[in-house]
Amino acid sequence: MNDTKPALPAEMTALLATVGTKRDRAAFEILFVHFAPRVRSYLLRLGASAALADDLAQEAMLTIWRKAEMFDPAKASASTWIFTIARNLHIDAIRRERRPEFDPNDPALVPDEEVPPDTQMVRDSEDARVRSALTKLSAEQAQVVQMSFFAEKPHSQIAKELGLPLGTVKSRLRLAMARIKSALDGDA
Amino acid sequence: MTIAHHPADELLLSYAAGATDEATSLIVATHLTFCPQCRRTVAKAEAAGGALLESSESVPLSGNALQAVMSRLDEPAPAPIRAPLTPSNVPAPLRAYIGDDLERVRWTQIAGGISFKPLFQRGESRVQLIRSKPGSGVGLHTHRGEEFTLCLTGGYTDITGNYARGDWQSTTPDILHRPLADAGEDCIVLAVSDAPLLFRNWGIALIAKWFGF
Repeated sequence: MNDTKPALPAEMTALLATVGTKRDRAAFEILFVHFAPRVRSYLLRLGASAALADDLAQEAMLTIWRKAEMFDPAKASASTWIFTIARNLHIDAIRRERRPEFDPNDPALVPDEEVPPDTQMVRDSEDARVRSALTKLSAEQAQVVQMSFFAEKPHSQIAKELGLPLGTVKSRLRLAMARIKSALDGDA
Repeated sequence: MTIAHHPADELLLSYAAGATDEATSLIVATHLTFCPQCRRTVAKAEAAGGALLESSESVPLSGNALQAVMSRLDEPAPAPIRAPLTPSNVPAPLRAYIGDDLERVRWTQIAGGISFKPLFQRGESRVQLIRSKPGSGVGLHTHRGEEFTLCLTGGYTDITGNYARGDWQSTTPDILHRPLADAGEDCIVLAVSDAPLLFRNWGIALIAKWFGF
């Protein structure tokens, strides 16, 4: 690792995989330095107090250490996986709600169709592509995406706060999702 | 099994963002159990979440948080909460609410061929299971707000199409429909609504009101 240049998402994903397979503390430390301040910032934007955001960011990092074995670099990048952990921790600890999820081991699960295996290279470029798609959203689309991710507002609440018809909020989010999808499907 | 009817992409984005309430998250997660295509959409929306996290401002933690966490790495992890799943006709997300056997749900019969089971109500959202014998239905109704319906067993048909296991239907106040259960096994649906249904038949309306349907 070269400390002078900004860490690449691909390096973070490789480090997280190493934590999962080798319980590597040095790798975890690098992940902590990179992600803990970002997770804290995400929690602050969601409305957590400074003290709570500190506690939960630490809790998130411990969860990452404990669950790292379950991380599959073929399925998600480190930042995506860590986002889902921080999101779930916030809903559980602050909203005090359940967030039901499908269980990959559920006997009732209808399995994925056969898809060509993702190579690491594809995954890395996906990361860049989704970030670039987000910067290309219109101001109106970016606003409703931000309100979804950083304020956890449902459509009806966004409509109320922006004084827009519900259908307008939905169509802006739908267009944003179409952009994200096409960036990841490689035809953007 | 091919799913013909899916939740809207903007709803999957909200679910991925953590912006849906428990009731909506439950019905989305149950659909995802049946639907690889929507699982891929959610994964893509989560990748957007990852990118937003990655580009978030870096706000250092106060005190020596790194040391505090490093010193806790050897603590025993809390035991996993979930027991291994046994084969069941109930998708995993629903098991926390109704157990693992649809046959053992305690149904309340409200009209010929129709039973229901309220699961929970939180804020505006009410969640229930509705069971219809083949050929029966809850009657002509519309909706005050939004309603999501997910078919769990059997199938039903209304003016908009045919819905089988795993299929999703979103209905709004502009849809007046009379869903009827298909022939074969009983049709059980999971329904999430943000307001009570509006029935055209006053008799059913009265029963529905009585039961908080």
